[in-house]
Amino acid sequence: MNGLPVGIKICILAFWMIVVPGLVGGFFGTSRNELNRGKGRVAYMWVSGQFVLWALFWMICVPCTLLELDLPYVVYSYGAISVLLAAGGAVMVFRHWRQNGRHGLKLLRIADKGSRIFWGIAALLLLLQLVQAVRMTYADGDDAYYVAVSSITANAETMYQKLPYTGGTTGVDIRHGLAPLPVWIAFLSKVSGIRAVSVAHVAAPLLLIPMTYMVFYLLGRKLFAGKEKRIPFFLIFTELLVLFGDYSFYTVENFMIARSRQGKAALGSIVIPMLFVLLFVLLTRLQEEKNCGRAYWFLFVCVMITGCLCSTMGAVLCCLLVAVTGGCAALCYRKFRILLPLALCCLPCVICAVLYMLNG
Amino acid sequence: MSHAVWLLQEYMGSGLIVIWFLIALLYLFVREEKKPVRILFVYVPLVLLFLFFNPLFVKVMGSLLGDEIYYRVLWLLPMTPTLGYVIVKLCVALRGKRRCLLTVGAVGLVVLSGSYIYRNPFFAKADNWYHMPDSVVKICDAIEVPGREVTAVFPLDMVQYVRQYSPVVCMPYGREMLVDTAWNDWAVQDDLCDVMESETVEAERLGQLAKEKGCIYIVLPGKKKVKGDLQKAGYALFAEIEGYNVYRDVTFAP
Repeated sequence: MNGLPVGIKICILAFWMIVVPGLVGGFFGTSRNELNRGKGRVAYMWVSGQFVLWALFWMICVPCTLLELDLPYVVYSYGAISVLLAAGGAVMVFRHWRQNGRHGLKLLRIADKGSRIFWGIAALLLLLQLVQAVRMTYADGDDAYYVAVSSITANAETMYQKLPYTGGTTGVDIRHGLAPLPVWIAFLSKVSGIRAVSVAHVAAPLLLIPMTYMVFYLLGRKLFAGKEKRIPFFLIFTELLVLFGDYSFYTVENFMIARSRQGKAALGSIVIPMLFVLLFVLLTRLQEEKNCGRAYWFLFVCVMITGCLCSTMGAVLCCLLVAVTGGCAALCYRKFRILLPLALCCLPCVICAVLYMLNG
Repeated sequence: MSHAVWLLQEYMGSGLIVIWFLIALLYLFVREEKKPVRILFVYVPLVLLFLFFNPLFVKVMGSLLGDEIYYRVLWLLPMTPTLGYVIVKLCVALRGKRRCLLTVGAVGLVVLSGSYIYRNPFFAKADNWYHMPDSVVKICDAIEVPGREVTAVFPLDMVQYVRQYSPVVCMPYGREMLVDTAWNDWAVQDDLCDVMESETVEAERLGQLAKEKGCIYIVLPGKKKVKGDLQKAGYALFAEIEGYNVYRDVTFAP
């Protein structure tokens, strides 16, 4: 891949970062579930596709790391399954369009005509953040670990077996290997031929920042169900709160904008907000005394696994949020049976936490 | 003062956003009618805050997450969506000029209470598409040898970037030297680093320590005072790049 023109490399990267998740999301975008209603289904498709791919990546990469297998095993197996899933998703979308005729194109609609000016303001604020993500750099010491791991993995093709700060080989670093988001960046670097450092510092924020707002959009869609004109207002204020969220070094907004490429940033700004979306849907369905459907629970598990992919701490935080919300829901609605599926969704995180502690 | 209270104060920083969040929480507690919103935006944050300050919970989570990152439990509070939801709810409850005034006021409140992220002093204009300092990129490109790794000693202000850009350039010490020893148990001390960072570098001592650590290259800022001759210590000037002098082991044959 290294000998290809830069334009081609960027197209390959865009294929893996934008097209494949969108197509994989076709399974969700064409299924009947609570999140797949009304406008904005394209955002739901793309976000859900990305979560499925991240969960898949964790399930392939962690065993490979523990078995001390090299990166090509991950690249070929993850790459092949992703392409198969994307092809399946594409078939689903095509069939959906054929069955529904012009109405099938509603999948792509996100806005009402009357609220376009506010959508425009929200888009401009997002554009500002994307331009700044390319133009500005943030010096963070933790990159010396995470980005170096991506660079080393893409170059040496071993996973967590080299010392990131100084070089030289070492035993497998299992504790960090349980949260292999840097290896995902190495994968993108490997398949596109773009240096891992550029993928981490430039390409990853261009993917993860819009994804954050897509998740907020999904949340807004549920919060303001039936009052869609309020969604762009909600997005404008969330963007302003992010842009002016640097009131301390520790805020999730600081992590999201300044250190997007690090797993903990993705955890705080994408995974946890996505859990809010899913939990809100669950609460709504509990109130309506209806089921959420298989697609919902499948996505829920994928989001929980993504929490593990981002950070080993994510396993604990995701379980905590689910436990507290599940407990509140069970008490408020007097439906304690909801705790069982929620507990099952936490299983991957529990396994991850146990592995982490066993290697402590 | 307990660790949790201290962490909350640190998290709140200079801004008032956390206070607005607590007020929004109170508003929703009193006025919100939708049960799912009440649960997710009121009850769950209240339970999480209760847990956050609970000494037993602090102890358990502190041991699981680590005391210094315990503040990340606060990431579970839906601050941004709650504030966004309440602002929109308040704005749409009004009509005409009042709505405009409240919207502008809310924007002003967010702007004045928070801190613009791109004003953070750690942000700087990127030198290149790698988001690495040009000096690091050019020096690494110059010293890389195809098909093998090379070891080079860099000034401390460059160590955190070197292996992000080039995984084939190894170093005798890395970012661990930048960490405060009082704060992290993985911070270390290194004689070579002490010599490199001293005001006047003793050439012979530097050459001797660099050889011991297997360094093929030594990178020194051009302005650095060097006492003695590095050539005599076994390192000859290889290149001058972006204000840095790069010395190479005279016995090295690439």
